[in-house]
Amino acid sequence: MLRKIWLRALIVVGVLGPGFVTASAGNDVGGIFTYSQAGALYGYSTLWTLIPLTISLIVVQEMAGRMGAVTGKGLAGLIRENFGVRITFFAMAALFFINTAISATEFAGIAAACEIFGLSRYIVVPVSCILVFLFVLRLPNKIVERVFVVLSLVYLSYIVSGVLAHPNWQEVARGTLVPTLSLQTGFIVIVVGLIGTTISPYMQFFLQSAVVEKGSRARDLFAVRADIVVGSILAIVLAGFMIIANAATIFVSNQHLDAKHQITINSAVDVAVALKPLAGQYAAALFGFGILNAGLFTACVLPLATAFIVCEAFGFEAAVDRPFREAPVFYSLFAGALIVGALLVLIPNLPYLPLILFAQVLQGIVLPLELIMMLVIINRKRVMGAYTNTRTVNIISWVTAIVIGVLALIYVVQTILSQFGIGAN
Amino acid sequence: MTFRDGFLSDLIGRPVTIEQNGRRIVVGKIGDFVVGHPEDTFPRIDAIAVKTKSGDKLAPLSSVVDYRDGELLLSESPTVACPPDDETLYLVEDLLDKQIVDVDGRKVVRINDLELAQTAGALRVVAADIGAGGLLRRLTAGKIFSSLVERVPRTLIAWDNVAPLQDLNPSEIKLSVSDNRLARLHPSDLAQIISDLSAADAARIVGALDDETAADAFEHLDSDTTRAIIQDLGSERAADIIEEMDSDDAADLLGELPEEQQAELLAKMDSETADDLRELAQYAEDTAGGLMTTDYVWIYPHRTVGATIAKIREIAPETEFIYYLYVTDQAEKLLGVLSLRTLLLSEPEATIHSVMDSELVSVAADATSDDVASTIARYDLLACPVLDEQGRMLGIVTVDDAIDAILPERLKKQLPRVVGHKHRTRHLETAS
Repeated sequence: MLRKIWLRALIVVGVLGPGFVTASAGNDVGGIFTYSQAGALYGYSTLWTLIPLTISLIVVQEMAGRMGAVTGKGLAGLIRENFGVRITFFAMAALFFINTAISATEFAGIAAACEIFGLSRYIVVPVSCILVFLFVLRLPNKIVERVFVVLSLVYLSYIVSGVLAHPNWQEVARGTLVPTLSLQTGFIVIVVGLIGTTISPYMQFFLQSAVVEKGSRARDLFAVRADIVVGSILAIVLAGFMIIANAATIFVSNQHLDAKHQITINSAVDVAVALKPLAGQYAAALFGFGILNAGLFTACVLPLATAFIVCEAFGFEAAVDRPFREAPVFYSLFAGALIVGALLVLIPNLPYLPLILFAQVLQGIVLPLELIMMLVIINRKRVMGAYTNTRTVNIISWVTAIVIGVLALIYVVQTILSQFGIGAN
Repeated sequence: MTFRDGFLSDLIGRPVTIEQNGRRIVVGKIGDFVVGHPEDTFPRIDAIAVKTKSGDKLAPLSSVVDYRDGELLLSESPTVACPPDDETLYLVEDLLDKQIVDVDGRKVVRINDLELAQTAGALRVVAADIGAGGLLRRLTAGKIFSSLVERVPRTLIAWDNVAPLQDLNPSEIKLSVSDNRLARLHPSDLAQIISDLSAADAARIVGALDDETAADAFEHLDSDTTRAIIQDLGSERAADIIEEMDSDDAADLLGELPEEQQAELLAKMDSETADDLRELAQYAEDTAGGLMTTDYVWIYPHRTVGATIAKIREIAPETEFIYYLYVTDQAEKLLGVLSLRTLLLSEPEATIHSVMDSELVSVAADATSDDVASTIARYDLLACPVLDEQGRMLGIVTVDDAIDAILPERLKKQLPRVVGHKHRTRHLETAS
């Protein structure tokens, strides 16, 4: 049943299962940037937010996993069957746009990471594009699997760079366990950014499809849930180590410098550069490699997954083992997302940054709407049978949805305001 | 009954009116359509669900006076409340946006719209629109771009080519998903569709097939999918299906299952089949033993050609590989081979012994799949016997299984079967 390569990749990379992989998909290039910024600007003081974030992530992902296991359908399919064509159309259009924009950030990350090692983006990005195409054209499965297993091990490099940065473990513990709330706008923006990157709309689609594709059923719910809980915690621990690595180095060194000489981070790759003098070249190289890896992996998976999800919603043929004329919509969507993403990075005068910004705003709007749709569907008896939400889970989920919604809205407003030069950052 | 042919999406939401004191008053909007017998080839629409201020009301189709200018005129205001959804089939609620199997196109698609038409004196569902045209029509509600929508080529599948994935009517009438529509497909196409489905849908579809069709499909499915389906079917039904499979495929499948489940399935099969499968299961998958089937025709040398032909005619409908006959003694030792061609061209009175070819080409059970394939290729065989150390027949490897074993994974799925064979060893001999 594993004809969907992106899912195969997801499942293979996740030694633990789709729960872990989907959660670590949040640790992509954009995620690395956000976590690094949190550490560099606010030290260990944002670490505690990861705890409620983990709970929210688990609650949301568990709903997606349960829906997949009980109905045997993907989230896109369920939205289509429960909300009709129009809402689905707008959801899919938004998803396509957001995912294309994220692909672009991945390619930008790949390009920047390779430029540290002295490789031109005009070589690296097209080569990565071709690599991704090759995966789709089906390199022998065994080779693909091994490559992804190796790539997945690279995720551990964050822990290594975190430890290499010699953090003050006492302060790490304090930052994790004692909530510090700052009302600085910048702090709020960072926290909202953390949520946005940890719980992205596409992750629920991913997870649910992966659970369905793995053939998990209602009777397997315990395993599905265990995978989601363990996976989410692990992925966020990795994110925590990114914060720690930056807090122990850039934040600490910035404390002793006046504002002029402080290190500022404007992209994920800046982190790798900044780490070099502070934590040694190995930590820096590891971080750079981590970015490259995250970028390549997400750039592979995202356009393909998007094409599959959109085709699922509209009932178009979607298969990598069929010729173009049998699945034209699928191939067009896939190539579209991939090529547009790559071009955005390669063509100098394209409005790359405003587009990314718009995608983030859109993501902020889509996420709470998506959560509400999930909550409506999961409470329908005729869809979920005996597996609708319990009262307690419903309360937790609605609170999560509302908090995420409100914070996302703040994020949207912040982003728009900062466009007009109002507000911090 | 004055509906013209058209699409469901054009009708939904239109005002419903009644005539009162010579004036038309609006009582509600068209909300849905009710089908009483979804199992019909082209299901008839029995009633309209009207959305009114006091809830959804049922208007029987006989109360429809006229449908003109996008307005429905009823003879009387509907008063009966609509039955709950699990008691009847609603077109919008239960069919629109759902997945179906397009039996003719051999793929899983989604219903974007439904075409209704007046045929045989009733308004019926005649086709499902699965194309972009249907999507556009619903996105724009036919108001804007209607000329554009008309230009998009329609992708309609006639309703008799539609096989729903779910039982359309859970409590009332079981519209079986198979409805024999899926059984029309070539097993490899059916397998393709099944592997496109989620585990739940796959199990439902297979559950509704007859054992033989399901077995054919199993032979074309990868082991992950089959394993998931077996889990859902339960061992009783799974054992029935596996019994119908080629013995080599069945043995492979069993070999992939955990031992407990293997034993459970074998225990539910008839003992002869189970013994064969146990024997086959000992061999490694990529050896002659793993590839062979125990389904071949064997015969004693002293029989006459005429009697043999008569016997073959009798068993042929049940046996697929009849192109070679293997001549053995009482101890199952292979003495010679005989092709169907030789048999047909020989005098009916001749004994098998006199016409058989005793130059034997065979492989051992532990021969690699490459060896088997090259033996078959070198001697231009359709099948190659597998012998034990004493020269006794263990089984045969047919040419298609040999090709399957040496072809790269990705090519395999695209190939249809050359030779099919399904049943246990056919004995031309009666116990004697």
